[in-house]
Amino acid sequence: MKSFELARPTSLDEAIDLLPKGRGPAEIDDARPLAGGQDILTEMKDYLITPKRLVDLAGVAGLDAYQSAPDLVLGSLTRLARIAADPQIALHHRALSIAAESVASVQIRNQATLGGNLCQRPRCWYYRNESVPCIKKGGAECFAESGLNKYNAIFGGGPSYIVHPSDCATALVLLDATVTKRGPRGESRMPLEQFFTLPSEGSVVRENVLKANEILVQVEVPAPKPGWTSTYLKFKERESFDFAMSAVALSARIEGDTIAEARMVLGAVAPIPWRAGEAESFLAGKPNTHATWKEAAEIALAQAEPLEHNGYKVPLTKGLIQKALRELSGGESK
Amino acid sequence: MTSQDNGTPSWGARADHRVLNKDTRRLSGPEKVKGEAIYSIDRHVPDMLYGKLVCIPVAKAEFTVDVDPAMEIEGVVIAIPLREGSTLYNGQAVAAVAAETPELAEDGARAVVVNYTPQGFVVTAESAKAPGAPQVSSRSPNHAPRGGSNDKGRGDMDATMEALDASDFVVEAEFDVAIQHHACLETHGLLADFKGGDEATIYASTQVAFGIPGSAAGPLGLDRQNVRCVVEHMGGGFGAKFSMDVAGRAACLMAAEVGRPVSMFNDRRQEFETSGNRSGSIQRIKAGVAKDGEILAMHSDMDKLGGVGRGPGAVQPYIYNVLESFTLDYALHTNTDSSRAMRAPGHPQVSFAMESVVDMLAYGIGADLVEIRKRNLSDPAYHRQLDRVAQEIGWNEHQHRTAPGKGDGWIAEGIGFGVSTWGGGGGPGAAAEVRIERDGGVTSSIGVQDLGTGVRTLVAMIPAEEFGLQASDVLPRIGDTQLPNGVGSGGSVTTASVAPCLKDASHKTRLAFAEHLASVLKCEAKDVTFADGKVFAKSAPDRGLTWKDACATLPAEGLARTGKWIGDLQTSGAHGAQAARVQVDLMTGAVKVLKMVAVQDSGLVLNPLTWRSQVNGAMIQSIGLALYEGRVMEPDLGIQINANLGDYKLPGCMEIPELVAIVDDEDTRQAVIGVGEPPAIPGAGAIANAIHNACGARITSLPITPDKVLEALAKLS
Repeated sequence: MKSFELARPTSLDEAIDLLPKGRGPAEIDDARPLAGGQDILTEMKDYLITPKRLVDLAGVAGLDAYQSAPDLVLGSLTRLARIAADPQIALHHRALSIAAESVASVQIRNQATLGGNLCQRPRCWYYRNESVPCIKKGGAECFAESGLNKYNAIFGGGPSYIVHPSDCATALVLLDATVTKRGPRGESRMPLEQFFTLPSEGSVVRENVLKANEILVQVEVPAPKPGWTSTYLKFKERESFDFAMSAVALSARIEGDTIAEARMVLGAVAPIPWRAGEAESFLAGKPNTHATWKEAAEIALAQAEPLEHNGYKVPLTKGLIQKALRELSGGESK
Repeated sequence: MTSQDNGTPSWGARADHRVLNKDTRRLSGPEKVKGEAIYSIDRHVPDMLYGKLVCIPVAKAEFTVDVDPAMEIEGVVIAIPLREGSTLYNGQAVAAVAAETPELAEDGARAVVVNYTPQGFVVTAESAKAPGAPQVSSRSPNHAPRGGSNDKGRGDMDATMEALDASDFVVEAEFDVAIQHHACLETHGLLADFKGGDEATIYASTQVAFGIPGSAAGPLGLDRQNVRCVVEHMGGGFGAKFSMDVAGRAACLMAAEVGRPVSMFNDRRQEFETSGNRSGSIQRIKAGVAKDGEILAMHSDMDKLGGVGRGPGAVQPYIYNVLESFTLDYALHTNTDSSRAMRAPGHPQVSFAMESVVDMLAYGIGADLVEIRKRNLSDPAYHRQLDRVAQEIGWNEHQHRTAPGKGDGWIAEGIGFGVSTWGGGGGPGAAAEVRIERDGGVTSSIGVQDLGTGVRTLVAMIPAEEFGLQASDVLPRIGDTQLPNGVGSGGSVTTASVAPCLKDASHKTRLAFAEHLASVLKCEAKDVTFADGKVFAKSAPDRGLTWKDACATLPAEGLARTGKWIGDLQTSGAHGAQAARVQVDLMTGAVKVLKMVAVQDSGLVLNPLTWRSQVNGAMIQSIGLALYEGRVMEPDLGIQINANLGDYKLPGCMEIPELVAIVDDEDTRQAVIGVGEPPAIPGAGAIANAIHNACGARITSLPITPDKVLEALAKLS
């Protein structure tokens, strides 16, 4: 790791002032915010980035909000372990509870923050290899597009084919979360769903709208509407600790033998949490049967565009969708 | 235990053992669990420098190297080129730097300028065999018989083809085994503790402590006898640590140059790219069976993927009796580092394919999976071992005994089997010393390293048994070339090479002590008896001395004897069978191993607890080979794309099922055999077979990841 300056501001404005003023890639490397450090320090150790300054947010006031029931307010410095252990969150926002618990290992969850989890960089092995000049690092090419793309996107790809690595992002988009960020011009709020950007929409070297001199302040999740339950099914190639190969966040209101309403977000299949809107519409008012689950899964994956080595994500995600629906219907998930 | 036989040392009847053949906890366990054990990579000495290798970032190149820019960084003490000219694979070290801190060493390594011209390369089997493919090296074609150009194959090809024609059922398949890594937690390297003068101590992570002084003396510019090697604890070897490697040589060269200690260990990427892998293979097999279950014919065409090396020698039909077989054994070279020995070199790869073929043949004729194995294995050891693992895994109650599951529904369960063989005998060359002090202390010394298998504990147990003491009463001293000779730990030879020396030394020491005590106890030496911490005359067990009081009668210098290897105390020839029970999630392709059972013979088991640990560890590595691990080479970039412990997936705690390791107690040989290798062989085949048995998907490519399972299931329906 290259030597760097560690700045330790105590206020948000002070922290923002220590971040880059300009917008170019060179300025971004001047200074970066540091929260739990679980991703950024790895990037620095692997020489993917070499910031001159890290702005430590640990001492900054206003990032540690925590209100757990039933309207959820989570400061960006909230540790994932705290979310995973909170019985109120497990009760009212079950998908988030499961997602937080599914991240990495106990040691990492104890240190990692919610803000860092949402803003973590992609896991694509081309991106993570220092010697590969991929498009995410300012290069000209997405090596995954025609290369070893087993773990890459089947939705929303191009010109980069990364998948978003955050479990909490998928669950929070499902739960209709709102995010607050702050920059030199003050605070702004937006639906979390709009926070994440496709490589074809925003900057290809970023995964969200956050600018180099902005800080994610907190996430708010409304109390669940009556009758709704949720779950998060994460499929890992290695159960002990791993990123998702595919994930399904599902919430539904089931009335008797009918799925009254449902909401579905897919993870690890696209550069952003991928809302399965057509499947949601299909499920509304349908009989709660295996045939319905299967059809919903078909609809959710109908538009998938697999690359050479990730076609398995289509049947895998279909399987997870059926399992998630079965679980919310009172059956087993695994 | 009482040891009254005064003749040639023998292990004695198992029923008489008080320490040996009893579960004995690893003596280094507490310090390892508490993090207090000092591995070579943890060792720091005053004035020490940190070394870093400079590695070439392309698969094949002509290059020049300029180390001067590194020297401009304050804190970088030395930078040296290691080679000139050309490289054959990505990650090959071309220079080295040593600095005051690890971070400065990294800065220095990055400042070294390597000017290279990339050359055409091949890093995958497919590209290596393509017409017009670039040659890996000028020494041999990319695809060449392992036995040389005159090697036209083993066996009678015509007879094999006739036997195939005469078979009642024939299968044909291609098996593809990915390259697995040793993935030692302690990477390759050493600390060269040299401060000028004419002596040095090397703290190495090695399987051959006694090989290090000879290797290090040259680069250090010292006499071999003035170089000592210490290996207090080992963080994994598995066959990858038989030399001091380029990191070790560079550390010695730099230490010699600046007269300061240099510690240099691979980083994780270097460890993956350059320091150890189990060869992959591609095996095209055609085999035929008679209706009665006899395997009549097998034609196999094997490519060993050993990188720039040739890969190991094991061939088909592995250990099965096949009436007529013909085998072509080729090396298929790529621009990747050479494979190294890894727990039974070559065996797990051929076992996986052979066990798969046996199952395919069995299902073809409707035979029971256990019975067809017994039909084609002659050694009765396998018959009883297969019956035992079948019983332990629940085969007789299993629903898919002659036909696999159909792959419908949400979940399926299956069972599979495999068998293995290995030598496991030892050899001469080692020596041991056992010493009794006047204060009652006992020291047992042999320079051999403990790879983590439990050798240290054996070194204490053997004299403890001899003197009627407990293992914890004996201080074991190991891992040091100033102690009596050890052996290199490879091929499962360690226990069978060192245990006889320790037994001989213990035996001689006891006889000498008995001679001394005869006058004290007023009896003949042959009647001096050692038991339960006491020493007494056989005829007067009530009037003896405590061990401590007996030792107090010794002269000031105590009593010591050395022992040498005695062939009769060891033997060779291990057999084992394993069974796996797996669950296949038909919706996601996930495979979960629910249980594995190993029944293994290995003569007299000195410490059943560490023996079971060895067998369990072998089953876990088999689970990795079967389901998770595999080097992924980027064909166009020429690099390993998963050279880290995130993307290269070792099994973790959630992947480890119920493991049952059973000593085959019908093996009554009164001699020791090593058990490092044999249990590492049959697991992958057993797991692949269990997956097929569960759901009907025959997957012939390792590792069997969910994408492959889903693809195979889709083909079934």
